Amino acid sequence: MSPDCVPPTGAAEAALAHAPAAGGAVGERLRVGWRRLARRPPAVVGTLVVLVFVGLALGAPWIAPADPIATSWSQIRRAPSWAHPFGTDDLGRDTLSRVIWGTRVSMRAGVLSILFAIAVGVPAGLIAGYYRGVIDQAVMRLTDAWLSFPFLILAIGLVTILGPSLTNATLAIGLGATPTYIRLTRGLVLATREEDYVHSARALGAGDLRLMGRHVLPNIVSSILVQATVSIPAAIIAEAVLSFLGLGVQPPTPSWGTMLNTAQAFLETAPWMAWWPGLAIFVLALSFNLAGDGIRDVLDPRDY
Amino acid sequence: MAEFLIQRSAISLVTLFLITVIVFAGVRMIPGDPARVMAGVDADAAGIEEIRQKYGLRDPIPVQYVKWVGRALRGDLGESIRTRDSVLGLIGRKLPITLQLAAYSLLVALVIAIPVGVLAAVRRNTPWDYLASSVSLCGVSIPNFWLGIMLILLLSVRLQWLPASGFVSPFEDLWGNTQRLLMPAVVLGAALAAVLMRQTRNSMIEVLGADYVRTAYAKGLRTRVVVFRHAIRNGLIPVITIFGLQLGALIGGAVVTEQIFVVPGFGRLILEAVFTRDYPVVQGVVLITASAYVLVNLLVDVSYSLLNPRIRIKGGRDEP
Repeated sequence: MSPDCVPPTGAAEAALAHAPAAGGAVGERLRVGWRRLARRPPAVVGTLVVLVFVGLALGAPWIAPADPIATSWSQIRRAPSWAHPFGTDDLGRDTLSRVIWGTRVSMRAGVLSILFAIAVGVPAGLIAGYYRGVIDQAVMRLTDAWLSFPFLILAIGLVTILGPSLTNATLAIGLGATPTYIRLTRGLVLATREEDYVHSARALGAGDLRLMGRHVLPNIVSSILVQATVSIPAAIIAEAVLSFLGLGVQPPTPSWGTMLNTAQAFLETAPWMAWWPGLAIFVLALSFNLAGDGIRDVLDPRDY
Repeated sequence: MAEFLIQRSAISLVTLFLITVIVFAGVRMIPGDPARVMAGVDADAAGIEEIRQKYGLRDPIPVQYVKWVGRALRGDLGESIRTRDSVLGLIGRKLPITLQLAAYSLLVALVIAIPVGVLAAVRRNTPWDYLASSVSLCGVSIPNFWLGIMLILLLSVRLQWLPASGFVSPFEDLWGNTQRLLMPAVVLGAALAAVLMRQTRNSMIEVLGADYVRTAYAKGLRTRVVVFRHAIRNGLIPVITIFGLQLGALIGGAVVTEQIFVVPGFGRLILEAVFTRDYPVVQGVVLITASAYVLVNLLVDVSYSLLNPRIRIKGGRDEP
């Protein structure tokens, strides 16, 4: 079946989604997905830039031209040059190398915090939406209370209790994002559990666990992935904010937020210290958002 | 309507109760003796004993909780470890500064977001729309503290048009006050503008496709009249909800913005309290912020239901 033969009906899409995951079907879906993504050049560019950043994060030790924490008193606050394309900072460290290493921190915080939010939020939302009743009420009221703490206030409170570090900042960001996933999952489950195929499976004797895991969950995965593409850039910015405020990564570990914090003191004498880390955050967040738009398009079954 | 009000208020009360539990438990989760925590690292044995007496820290935990809530309801949020000022008094002094900043930011956000959002919706799929969407996407992606630093670099360091930091009361020097709050307001308003613009565009597009708008066009009304008389009224209703939800982002943004521009408001109060381990202040600030957030969202929901009767009939907002 070539992609052109797919009839433009929801039924066909649903049939495709429930087809057994044979190798051919997966390849087919990937091809269709790629064709949709390719219709949107900004999404392709965004995806490629995100992949470049992933490469930088993984390959930092080999790609960075200099040691990110080696200080050099003879090279303090040098403007960008061939030797130091992004200049050097107040301790004579190579800014380019620090930006490259900083990718690791941002990626780790951005991805791990959202994975945490999904790992906690999706099961909670699944159970609340599936069983409804008292469990649902309890989970949702707790979620409301949790959502009443503005994210940064919540993060500040948590970091005050736990102490500032990258792990705690990641945890705080993850906990801040969790209610969104509980609400999203619950809403999707409420709609999905009334679908005919779920009722049929129940009539065939499927138990709760099987219904949730095999029939409900696979049909809400794409919406959760789409939400993740929105959450990850927000989480990356959140980590930078926390580190900028001194509540996240501690020196001398290179992170974009802490670099900007230091740069603030030298705006008049070494403005380049402030350019690059911020630009890196901006480009990465923008690329994630562009890629996310494309992925939303690829995963949205209504758009066939 | 009454049923909706009661139901919605009850939910808010439950939420407020859970907030007090979380805030109370939060301070207890700090490792170490709570009396020592509340008295600060410099306190001597007598000082710790005084705190222990004053806050009844020998009582069972539930009793302590009830007493704490009782004092909070009477406006006693304890006193700062550092300055011995009452926490409520501190908040009362700092909050107006932040409220002024927030009001300016809202103004900046609304002035940018509503016209651009409406224009993008009316001229859908034209270069104007693409431009507006791109700007909005950049606004969501740009870290506002970096935007602030870049503005300082350009407008203060390079061009020397505006002072980079500080604050003066509007009652002493209105012009100086405006000058100093201009950059922070733009920085804080930019992110909000991006979100509001997107929301305005989407909801206007939906309304512009509605039957009654088509009818208005069919009657021969001009576009301007249809958009401003008919569409905009319904198109802006969902924007109000986003407003309530964005309040949290506004508070968080204020913390960062005040830090960059050295504005001595609520946000700096929180940060200073965190760094000096001034737990009573942190506790009070978090409690007040979360409670205010709940109340504002209650007001938003109630006004939303007044504007949109369908919500009332369904008997409650239950968004996914």
